[in-house]
Amino acid sequence: MKTCLIVDDSRVVRKVAARILRDLNFVIEEAADGAEALTFCRSRMPEAILLDWNMPVMNGLDFLRSLRRIEGGKAPIVVFCSIENDPEHIHEALRSGANEFIMKPFDADILESKFAEVGLV
Amino acid sequence: MQDTVFNEIADLALKGSGQTLHASRAYLIESRLAPILRREGFGSVDDLVHCLKSRGNTALSSEMVAALTGKETCFFREREAMDEALTRMATRFQRDSRLRIWCAGVSTGQEAYSVAIRLAELGLVPDTARVEIVATDISRTVLQTATTGVYNHYQVQHGLSIQRLLTHFNKQDSGDWQASDSLRGQIGFRPHNLIESAAGLGRFHLILCRHVLSGLSRVARAKVADQLAAQLEPGGTILTGEGESLYGLTPRLEPAGDSAPLLWVSAGTAAASAA
Repeated sequence: MKTCLIVDDSRVVRKVAARILRDLNFVIEEAADGAEALTFCRSRMPEAILLDWNMPVMNGLDFLRSLRRIEGGKAPIVVFCSIENDPEHIHEALRSGANEFIMKPFDADILESKFAEVGLV
Repeated sequence: MQDTVFNEIADLALKGSGQTLHASRAYLIESRLAPILRREGFGSVDDLVHCLKSRGNTALSSEMVAALTGKETCFFREREAMDEALTRMATRFQRDSRLRIWCAGVSTGQEAYSVAIRLAELGLVPDTARVEIVATDISRTVLQTATTGVYNHYQVQHGLSIQRLLTHFNKQDSGDWQASDSLRGQIGFRPHNLIESAAGLGRFHLILCRHVLSGLSRVARAKVADQLAAQLEPGGTILTGEGESLYGLTPRLEPAGDSAPLLWVSAGTAAASAA
């Protein structure tokens, strides 16, 4: 089974996403901000990362740029997930190394559809 | 809903569009007719049917028939089959300067836009050839969405990758996304009831009719199959949805081949085209 790291400062969002992704056969790990996520990735690289944008300590964009620079950090498929959904924001996320982008709020169908676009399901 | 009312509506749907409604899914009737009930100020489906019987309002009854049909669709549904059909069309008609594609029963239009996007991506058709996509549905309400090409947050995240969204759609102030002018310029949306003659639409090199037939009675399926066959260019192909078959519905069509279970061609031509 593939591991998906869910990075979001909202416990509720993490819980909802975890529930949906477990149904899609992922093993779930959670992090509450970018710094926590980076620590996790340094010890064990997940196959997939569902990444929020606005978080305390280290935001999603900074995490993503750091991730892509560390050893093995190009491998995970990163699905950005944000309320910031202007084309400029989305382009910035993609330029920083995101593979897909989900505009919040999302439901199970959207999550599955987007994970399918990048070959995760 | 009373049984007699359900029967009236089921009869209306069957005669109007060939759709079969099952009593077990009577809740669908309520939800699909809800917008009409609200607009016309009826408290229940029963009231609406009583009014229809006494007044015989044909405009209202055709609107009900259209509202009762299924509208579910999404971008890039069953995309492998679509690729196969588009590739086949481009190979067959590589010398033609004008290619015509019909999306029959297109609902809110996602399939027509997907076809236009995919054709551009695959680059199968030379720049010198003109592709015309005609997309039809019985419901004018869904065609309104289809024509404007405006989709909400949920619709653009069902089947559409972020890259395709950014390339082919523009975000509006409302938060919705609209298909680009160039995409919309390739598609003509028109109201059409599939059990009626489609002669006015002309002939097509490829017809996509997906997830429409399964909701129809056998008699209606046969009628639709005949109408589709009549609009097929010689050498053209019909694509049906996953799990749908035109087999035995009309003597005018046959399967394109064992390896392509969703593709259908004019009778007597499958063997010739395989050779």
